[in-house]
Amino acid sequence: MIDVGVMLAVLLAQKFEQRGFVENSTVVYPQTAPNDSGRVVDELLFREEASYKFAPWFTVSGSFDARTDSHRQTARDAVVDADDRSILRPAFSLRRLSATIHRGKLTAEIGRQLIRWGKTDILNPTDRFAPKDYLSSVVDADFLGVSAARVTYESGGDTVDVVWQPWFTPSRTPLLNQRWTAPPAEAAGVSIVDAGARDPGGSQYGARWNHIGSGYEYSLCFFDGFQNLPSFDVLFTPLPPTTVALTRVYPRLRLYGGDAAVPLRWLTIKGEAAYFTSSTPGAEEYALYVIQLERQVKEWSFVGGYAGSVVTRDAASPLQFAPDRGFAKSFVGRAGLTIDANRSLAIETAVRSGGSFVRFEYSQLFGQHWRATGGIAWVRGDMDDFLGQYRRNSYGSLAIRYSF
Amino acid sequence: MNRLFLLLAAVLPVLAPAFGQDPRQIILEVQKRQHSDSQRYEGTLEVISEGNKLATKRWVYQRLGSFGSSKAILRFTAPAEVKGVGLLIVNHPDRASDQWMWRPAIGRDQRIALQDRSTRFFGTDFSFEDLEERDVDQYDYKLLADEGATWKLESRPRKSSQYEYSYFWVKKDNYTFVKVEAYGKKGLVRTIDYKNYEQIKGIWTARATEVYDVARKSRTILKYEKLEYNLPMKDDDFTLQALRRDL
Repeated sequence: MIDVGVMLAVLLAQKFEQRGFVENSTVVYPQTAPNDSGRVVDELLFREEASYKFAPWFTVSGSFDARTDSHRQTARDAVVDADDRSILRPAFSLRRLSATIHRGKLTAEIGRQLIRWGKTDILNPTDRFAPKDYLSSVVDADFLGVSAARVTYESGGDTVDVVWQPWFTPSRTPLLNQRWTAPPAEAAGVSIVDAGARDPGGSQYGARWNHIGSGYEYSLCFFDGFQNLPSFDVLFTPLPPTTVALTRVYPRLRLYGGDAAVPLRWLTIKGEAAYFTSSTPGAEEYALYVIQLERQVKEWSFVGGYAGSVVTRDAASPLQFAPDRGFAKSFVGRAGLTIDANRSLAIETAVRSGGSFVRFEYSQLFGQHWRATGGIAWVRGDMDDFLGQYRRNSYGSLAIRYSF
Repeated sequence: MNRLFLLLAAVLPVLAPAFGQDPRQIILEVQKRQHSDSQRYEGTLEVISEGNKLATKRWVYQRLGSFGSSKAILRFTAPAEVKGVGLLIVNHPDRASDQWMWRPAIGRDQRIALQDRSTRFFGTDFSFEDLEERDVDQYDYKLLADEGATWKLESRPRKSSQYEYSYFWVKKDNYTFVKVEAYGKKGLVRTIDYKNYEQIKGIWTARATEVYDVARKSRTILKYEKLEYNLPMKDDDFTLQALRRDL
């Protein structure tokens, strides 16, 4: 009995932290799309994040999502999903559930977690353990957690990060019958169906060395695993009704990359580059690079740069979902204004030769808990351009969030 | 050791007038008396903008090291939407500090571009320059007046600054700042008042700092709670990994 009392007292004395929010976001599209007549999409998300520090060196952290929406993008099953591989968003999911052990210069995190690499903001070619959820927007996607073991050794200005991901988490792609999939005009009258995915069975691993020097920092990284953005195997049935069945496949991928940041007197220069090779026959090999400049002037912050790509081996099949390369060959910029402690304004843009995207966003905090964010996004361009194909997807949005 | 410190603290005010006329020595003495190897406090920040609109932020601040070569982590605890957002500041004696921000929502740290030190700190009335550690050798000082209980000093920055000059009022009996008026090319930019002094571990410490932005007619009050000095802290707790370890 005494032991139980002592244990309870010890447990209560440990550190529990939590935060969370409930957010309702409404997106209004003035135009319908050929494959989507819906003009209003409403999403409701509840997210709870908590951590418990059992000892100064041992913490367990978790993040739980519950969501629903008006556009059938979220599954309706009352099941808690822990690997986020489904085509629909799960109604209930564990975004994070991990144990962190910290001893001296060593930190190990094991379990479902978010892993982010890279230094630039407009595109991160080296960010390979960070699949995204593109289901409801290709231009504004959230990150998905991955199940992995991550060990980090930090000494002085040097950090070595080693990650092993035993099973694969793909990025979630837009649904074929919704507006963020833009079928070509030639596909009119053809029934396009989702034939599922062939998820790769192997593990992924990677390592990154980051060095912070006097007035600069850089990193080098290596990754061996799979592309988390799919290519499509096509099964064409010409007999009426004409059908195209698309199967998502994920080629092997090996990455050699690096990034750097150099703060100068007038601006900060950041760069990131990666070369991708693949042992999968017919898979594309390419390089992605980003160079960006940052500057703050009073309450304005400016980020601008260029994202480029060089293809060294063409893909056998042109059917791929590749927003990372879609945003390449673009000039990308962001300007943010902190009006005061509660209000902010942001303008984002991406401009390519064949398309462009501009978004204005105003955000205001009310009291200690409520925030409203309103925005307008404008997409323009040619149908054969990555951004231009979404030209009917300009939208207005309003998100109301209660944080606790 | 503590006895020696207390003895020095008692004797120094008596000796002060002997060297008090040298303005640089006065500032050096202020810094010497405020020296600590580490510091921790819980800050409450109230921004009262024109029209009496109130915004409140809270954070936990920890610093290891002292003037010029310290490291600090500031972690927001309120409002709820910024809970967990962290800022790592690595100060250098010879150049601007390096700063990284950790935003849990995106799960990564970002180096902050900080070329303009007049940028307001998270929408408050403090500029980043106001919160920087002040190296005595980066300013020229002039003693303007002996006002009885206080000295009035003028400082002019040797390097680029948003301020052309500043006036400081320093209390003679305990070498603490009372008030700062900071002037730009067009006149008074900010006033900073140091309030509610208390001795904590032998260090005279303002428990509140109030800054007034003249152009915006807005003021910010920073209150220091649970303030402690010279706590045992480790270098490992002031790194990018430490920044991302907590929720």
